[in-house]
Amino acid sequence: MSTQSADGAQGWSLDEWFVVALARTVADGEVVFHGFASPCAQVAMHVARRTHAPGSMLVEGATYAVNPEPAFVPPTSNDLALHRDAVYRMRFEEFFDAACRGAVDRMFLSGGQIDAYGNTNVTAIGGMPHPKIKLGGGGGGANISATIGALTVWTTRHGSGRTLVEAVDFLTDLGHRTPAGTRAELGHTGGGPQWLVTELGVLDYTDDGRARLVATFPDVTVADVEKATGFALTVADDVGTVPEPTPAELAAVRAVDPLGVRRLEFGPADLARRFGPAA
Amino acid sequence: MTGFHLAADKRTTLEEAVAHVRDGATVALGGGLAARLPMALVRALVRQGTTGLRVVGSAHSIDVDLLVGAGAVAVCEESYVGFEQDLGLAPAFRRGAESGSLVVRESSCVTMLTQLRAAEMGVPFLPVRGLLGTDLPTLHPEWGTVTCPFTGQVLAAVPALAPDVALLHAPIGDTAGNLHLDQPYVLDERFAHASRVVVASVDRLVDTAEVVAAGVTVPAHVVTAVVEAPFGAHPTSCYPGYAYDRSHLAEYVKAAAAGGEAFEAYLDRYVRVDEQTYRDLTGAERLTAWSASDEQWQELFR
Repeated sequence: MSTQSADGAQGWSLDEWFVVALARTVADGEVVFHGFASPCAQVAMHVARRTHAPGSMLVEGATYAVNPEPAFVPPTSNDLALHRDAVYRMRFEEFFDAACRGAVDRMFLSGGQIDAYGNTNVTAIGGMPHPKIKLGGGGGGANISATIGALTVWTTRHGSGRTLVEAVDFLTDLGHRTPAGTRAELGHTGGGPQWLVTELGVLDYTDDGRARLVATFPDVTVADVEKATGFALTVADDVGTVPEPTPAELAAVRAVDPLGVRRLEFGPADLARRFGPAA
Repeated sequence: MTGFHLAADKRTTLEEAVAHVRDGATVALGGGLAARLPMALVRALVRQGTTGLRVVGSAHSIDVDLLVGAGAVAVCEESYVGFEQDLGLAPAFRRGAESGSLVVRESSCVTMLTQLRAAEMGVPFLPVRGLLGTDLPTLHPEWGTVTCPFTGQVLAAVPALAPDVALLHAPIGDTAGNLHLDQPYVLDERFAHASRVVVASVDRLVDTAEVVAAGVTVPAHVVTAVVEAPFGAHPTSCYPGYAYDRSHLAEYVKAAAAGGEAFEAYLDRYVRVDEQTYRDLTGAERLTAWSASDEQWQELFR
C-alpha cells in the first residue's frame, strides 16, 4: 500500500500522524465517543475502528449514530453525513444516560487550557464572570468527564505555551484532581484522563494523576516540550519517539477524511510539518 | 405547565407565533449546532424587537448569536455557543460576554436535560452526575447538592426548569401541530413537554397521515402554534430537505465579528425582510442538492 498523500508527496504530515496517535489510544472492544468541535478525535475514532480496534463501538458525537461509515467527515458534527450506514442512532437522552451510568469506556476531550491533572477549560480565558476571551463552552463534559471510563485529552496548541498551564482559569471538565479534591473524594465514578496527545508528543498520567511525557514527535525535543509546558513536567525515564504510522493507518486517515477537516485544528506551521521518506 | 393544547387548527403567521415570546421570557431553542435551528422564528423575534430573553439549551450557534447581536438576550444558559472548528467562536456572544452586556450562566448538556426532566416529571429537582469540582456551579447559585437517603452519596442537585416558550423547527407537521423530526432530536422533545408554550415552524404543512407515516416525534397536544416556513431552519440544515449553508454562515460570522454597521447591514438585508425575500436572496434551494450524490453533498462543504 502506498503512503502517497493527496498532494502527491511521499511520507506523511503531522496532522495525519497526530490523528493516528489519537486513534491508538482506543483499545479494541471499547465504547468510544467524541464531542462536537473535535475533528481530529472524530477522524481518529473511525481510523481506530478501521485498523486496530474493529471491535470497538463508536458513538458519533452530536448525532449519536452507532458505528456509522461516513463517506466523508463534514466540518460540522451534527450532520446527516455522519449517520451513513449506522444501524442505530441513540437518542440524546440515551447516550448521556449511558455515559452517566458508566457504560461508555472512553471520551475524547480538548480545551483552551489544560492543567497537569488533565482539568480542562473550554469556558473562558480569564475566567468567569469577566472573561478575557469567551470560549464556546463545554457541552456535556462537566457531567460525563466525571463518569466515563477513561479520557483521551488532546490539544494541537501545546507549542503556543499558553495551553498547558499550571492552573486553568475556569475548570469546565474534570481531570484527576481539582482544587475541591480528587475524583474519589468528589464521588466521581469515571477513571479520568489516561492519555494527553499534543502536536509535540504523547503524555500519560502518573499514579498521582499528573501528566508525564512518554514520547515526542521526531522534530521535537524534550526541552521543546518542557519550554512549552506551563507546569513542572514529569518525563518518563524511557521517553522515546511517537511510533510511526503504518501504511494502513495513513490510508484510513485519508479515506475517512477526504475534506481534511482534521487540518482545521492546526496552525500553518504545524500543517507544514512532514515526515517519512521525502521529509 | 398549563395543560395540553387541543385545538385542531393551530396555524398562524410568524409574527403572531413569536408574539407568544414576551420581553424577559425564558426561551428554549430547538435543534443543535448547525442543524434544525428555528431560524425563521428567530428572525421574526428580532423583527419583533424582543429584549431581555433568557435563552436555555444545549449546543447552539447562529440562533443564539444572532439574538445576542440584535440585543434580544439578557442571559445565556446554553452549554455551548459557537461554530465549531470550522468558523470558530461566536462573535456576538463573545463580545457580549467579554463586555459584560450579556450574562453567561453556562450550563452543560446533561444538567439542562435533567432540569427539563424534573419539570416534565413535576418534581422540584433531580440529582445529576458530575459538576462537583468544576467551576460551573459558581455560575449557578440556584444549584445545590443532595445526600442520597439510601446510600449517603452526595450528588449535585439541579432545580426543575420549565421554559416559558420553546421555539422548534420541523421538516413536516400538520395543522394541529403533530411534528415529525429526523434524528438527532437533541432536546426538542424535552423542550416540547417541559415548556409552557411550544411554537413550531415547519418546512411543509402536510396531512396528518403523512406525519403519522413518517412518525410523530412531538405530538400536537403539547404544541400551541404552528406556522409554515419553507427553509425555516436556513442557514442551518433540516434533513431530509436541505444541508446547511456554509457560505452563508461564513458571511454571517464575518458580519457579526465586524459588528456595528456590518452587523446592521446583515440584519437589514437578511432579517428585516420577509421570508420569501430571504429565500430568494440566499438561494436556499441549492442546498437540496445534497441528496443527488456523495460528490455533490461534499461540494456543499468545501
